[in-house]
Amino acid sequence: MATLAPDRGTGAAEKPLHRVARRAVTGAALPALLASFLVGALVLLSAGTNPLTGYQALFRGVLLDTNLPYLAAAFAPILGMAVSFAIPLRMGEFNLGGDGQLVLGGITAAAVAMAIPAWGLAGFALAAVAGAAAAGAWAALSVPLARFGRVPIIISTLLLGFPAVSFASYLARYPLTDKGTGIPQTPRLPDAMHLPALPASAYVNVGLLVAVLLFAAYWVVDARTGTGLELRTLGANLRFGEYVGIDVSRRTTGALAASGAIAGLTGALIVAGPPYRFIDGALVAPGYTFTGVTVALIASGRPAGLLAGALLFTALQVGGTGMERDVGIPRQLTAIIQASVVITFVLIVAVQAYRARTKAGAR
Amino acid sequence: MTDIRVRLAGITKRFGPVVANDDVDLELRAGEVHAVVGENGAGKSTLMSVLYGSVQPDSGRILARGTEVGFDSPRAAIAAGIGMVHQHFQLFESLSVTDNVIYGAEPTRRGLLDRRRARERVAALVEEYGSPLSPTAIVETLPMGLRQQVEILKALYRGADVLILDEPTAVLTPAETALLFASIRRLAERGTAVALVTHKLDEVMQVSDRVTVLRQGAVVASPATASTTPAALAHAMTGRDIEAATNDEPGPVGPAVLEVTDLRADPVRVDRLEVRAGEIVGIAGVAGNGQSELVRAVVGLRPASGTVRIAGVDVTRGDVRRRRAAGLAYVPEDRGAVGSARSLSIAENLAVGHLRRGWLNPAKVRAFAADLMRKHDVRGAGPEATVASLSGGNAQKVVLARELEHRAPLLVAENPTQGVDIGAIEYIHRELLAYRAAGHGVLLVSNELSELIALADRVHVMVDGRFVASVDRADLSEQRLGEAMTNATAPDAAVTTALVPPDQGASIAADGSADTTQDPAITEGRPDGDARA
Repeated sequence: MATLAPDRGTGAAEKPLHRVARRAVTGAALPALLASFLVGALVLLSAGTNPLTGYQALFRGVLLDTNLPYLAAAFAPILGMAVSFAIPLRMGEFNLGGDGQLVLGGITAAAVAMAIPAWGLAGFALAAVAGAAAAGAWAALSVPLARFGRVPIIISTLLLGFPAVSFASYLARYPLTDKGTGIPQTPRLPDAMHLPALPASAYVNVGLLVAVLLFAAYWVVDARTGTGLELRTLGANLRFGEYVGIDVSRRTTGALAASGAIAGLTGALIVAGPPYRFIDGALVAPGYTFTGVTVALIASGRPAGLLAGALLFTALQVGGTGMERDVGIPRQLTAIIQASVVITFVLIVAVQAYRARTKAGAR
Repeated sequence: MTDIRVRLAGITKRFGPVVANDDVDLELRAGEVHAVVGENGAGKSTLMSVLYGSVQPDSGRILARGTEVGFDSPRAAIAAGIGMVHQHFQLFESLSVTDNVIYGAEPTRRGLLDRRRARERVAALVEEYGSPLSPTAIVETLPMGLRQQVEILKALYRGADVLILDEPTAVLTPAETALLFASIRRLAERGTAVALVTHKLDEVMQVSDRVTVLRQGAVVASPATASTTPAALAHAMTGRDIEAATNDEPGPVGPAVLEVTDLRADPVRVDRLEVRAGEIVGIAGVAGNGQSELVRAVVGLRPASGTVRIAGVDVTRGDVRRRRAAGLAYVPEDRGAVGSARSLSIAENLAVGHLRRGWLNPAKVRAFAADLMRKHDVRGAGPEATVASLSGGNAQKVVLARELEHRAPLLVAENPTQGVDIGAIEYIHRELLAYRAAGHGVLLVSNELSELIALADRVHVMVDGRFVASVDRADLSEQRLGEAMTNATAPDAAVTTALVPPDQGASIAADGSADTTQDPAITEGRPDGDARA
């Protein structure tokens, strides 16, 4: 997996725009995408459906006016989780505990909001910051575990996710539960704490803006700061980074804390959107975390790819729902396409790496 | 002695746009040692790979004993009597000499490995060539010189009468090198055709009969060794006159910039090491004697006991970052794995050493890189290109540029010219001397004695992690350093003797064709002589 992390730039000087275009064509993402739609077509054929009909329905599902708000609403958490995973990925570390951090952020925000119900939107901002802080601290816990316990970060983040989800579930069932409903959920947030909707639709709220801002901040830090350069350097060659004097443990802690905090903030923003409460399982079930992981992996954490990938995968999910409704093709088809994208992408990257190795060996 | 064993005719090989070999002719004759020299990327390795069947040429012919052959694999080349000793030995370290020699060509009986015959044949081979090797010895217990003999025996076991040696002296002590050359001469006298790939011109002059010079993939000269000079060869390799940089006058020496006391970091046991401002202190030794551990302990990449002070600051507990802040710059041996991030751009590689704080302005990063690249003559690409796209010499200049730009009181340079071409070597040597002249201290660790003799004010000879001798500039010579290395390992070194075919074994020294002038210990290399006597 580590081969996915480094920036795979090659060759001589070119104009940045040309480079982006060349990467898109010769890189692995686009071919992988085409291949996965072919796989999807084969699946449709074998199920006795005309692939054209299926894909038409899929695209209609995406572009249908009534679906656009869902698209926009799902886009924010997917983009947020993609950014969350991308930050440590840039330096070659994997934070697989996104689910736990997402949920921890959500439940912490709900708990804090319940404690200060009269504070309104400012109160919820405070609650969201608390959620981000809790999730960030939880993610950063992996660094001492790696340093003193020799547990790889990819493992500890993943494992720390489970107690976090269970703990949130316990809170939603007992201490913080909305008594009388019998459902494991926290009470509905006071109206003043609901994220204001954007003019477009009730489902599209300020959360989308926050996610886009977070993404922009990631882009700026990555491309325009010494910190971004340090992270990319560590990702490209850890030993070089250490040699050149980068404080590796500080950067690792920072990257994981930021990663966790963004996941936590994403969770908090979901809670402040409809239905305005923390419901056990509701943050994990849509699979935002691993959709984000997939997007970030395919983009190798590169900002431009992150944005495009988040859009595409959101569209597939929303379009899948439309396709199911319109022509009765189960939306699992889109899961198949997503999985094929990942598999073919990894295959192409592996083959390219193998070719590069044999070519280098011949010299 | 003019029968041609192998002839390469009009070999051309392209890798993408790069022409690695351009219409190359090469004749290997029985009884002749043929040196193949050229800078990095001149096409030596490709040519040898073509000869050994591991690379297929785009055009050209290979003739073995006059008949055209096509080597589609090393197996075919071996069958035609070609053997190759790679720079990095291809041995199973945990297996015995016998197992290594027979591997891939095992004698069998009824489909099963015939261990007894294998032992007998290898023992016979060892005896025939007067090698001191024990067939049952485990390879990992052997010194480098003997491991190389195992490689040569491997080739001979397969009936090689054409032997390719790729940079064979890189891992040898001077004494071992002399023994190897004696072996090479003996094999040649017995009729073996030897191709010696090297970049060390003094070795070419010492041991070869003919030399082929490659430049940018093409043969530019192929004189008899006796009729050429090192300067002429260097000129042919680079296309220009190379004036070696040397440390001519001692400069004013200032305060200590590096003080190491009682350093222990297995296998390093260094009681005292001091580098003062305005001097270059060399560490000599054969690779693998603790030099890299010493360097890593000094720069803070490896834990060690003892104290380290850089520019007067006690950094014993500091990591690389703290030591750099105290006044350290470091050119590591492995520029690909440690000294650079190959997949990042040149600009990023330079910026990460200097522009890490706060905001990065891409235009400024580029300008900074362009400036340094101009100053250090990094050619072949712009600041946006990856380091991986550069040649070895230019990649090393990027590393050097970044480290020199720190203008740190102490520069630690570890084999800074390894694997770079002659032009770049000369350049790097000048830069190191200029750095010293500017009042900085340099700790220069090198496997190349000539480099230390040219540059260092003082050289410590390192064997088995210890300084066994310290030699001042006035007394520096290859012989003096070589003796120090050999004497320190005397009990072991004596075991290593030359491979000598039986019919020629009487005496090496009497024959005079081999270089045996350096050390009396070398003349012990006789099949009949008990080396320990």
